Amino acid sequence: MAASVETVILDAEAADALSSVHHPKHLVALSFVEGLAQRRQRRPSIKVLVPVAVRVEAGWDRSSPAAAIVNRVSGARDVSLTGAAADRAAELRMALDVSVVDATVAEAAESAAQPVVIVTSDVRDMTALAAHVKGDVRVVAI
Amino acid sequence: MSNEATLDAVVAALDVGGTDETVVTSVRVPAALRDAAKALQALGAGPSFNEVLVQGARDRVEALAHRAGLDRHYGAYPELRPSLGSVALALARLDASELADRADLIDQAAAELAATRPTAGADDVLTYAAALLAHEPV
Repeated sequence: MAASVETVILDAEAADALSSVHHPKHLVALSFVEGLAQRRQRRPSIKVLVPVAVRVEAGWDRSSPAAAIVNRVSGARDVSLTGAAADRAAELRMALDVSVVDATVAEAAESAAQPVVIVTSDVRDMTALAAHVKGDVRVVAI
Repeated sequence: MSNEATLDAVVAALDVGGTDETVVTSVRVPAALRDAAKALQALGAGPSFNEVLVQGARDRVEALAHRAGLDRHYGAYPELRPSLGSVALALARLDASELADRADLIDQAAAELAATRPTAGADDVLTYAAALLAHEPV
């Protein structure tokens, strides 16, 4: 059996789904974050992360009133793109011919406390990235 | 300030992360706990006591804010509260558990637990479902 998840990283579709009660996957996305919120009451070190590039892609402006729901329910903290992280993301992008955002997600996963799960709709590219990066990184479809 | 506005202010404060200004505050902690943390730091086995306190407080406050944010959402949209079974299934998928492919067992566990333990959580359901799986006829 795989080890229990320590970090969950939201991709753009997951962020979109959490942003609107009218999104067709809102309830599915809520199930993930509800489960994590329950676990965090006993293990507060579990993290939900969102790379800042994902927020840009999803149009998630934390200061906007429109982001109130996703801000509250996601429990997600930002992963900033530092110079060193950008270097690694660029390396991953060139190696696997993936999008800029996907590369930053993979870089964030590699750097986070593991096991890491990326919640995404782009299972194919993310699975390739997860296999390529260091550590225990898995992919779950939303 | 309304409860909603307070919650949004909490989330915004957490988003500032480690880049905000610091304050000196008075916290009463057990002396033995402080001594243990300092001894670990001296051994090279841990960070400073200040880092231990800040990280522990951050983790706990984030977890509390997450819970409060979801509860506020369910208060506004009660129909959107996910079922116990669906939450347990989501955790099984995140954990890459063999139960991720056994929604039937998770649903059975959720139903039986809900009838006997109304406060059961999703991890309780997974434990129960794992027992059901272990006792399935081969």
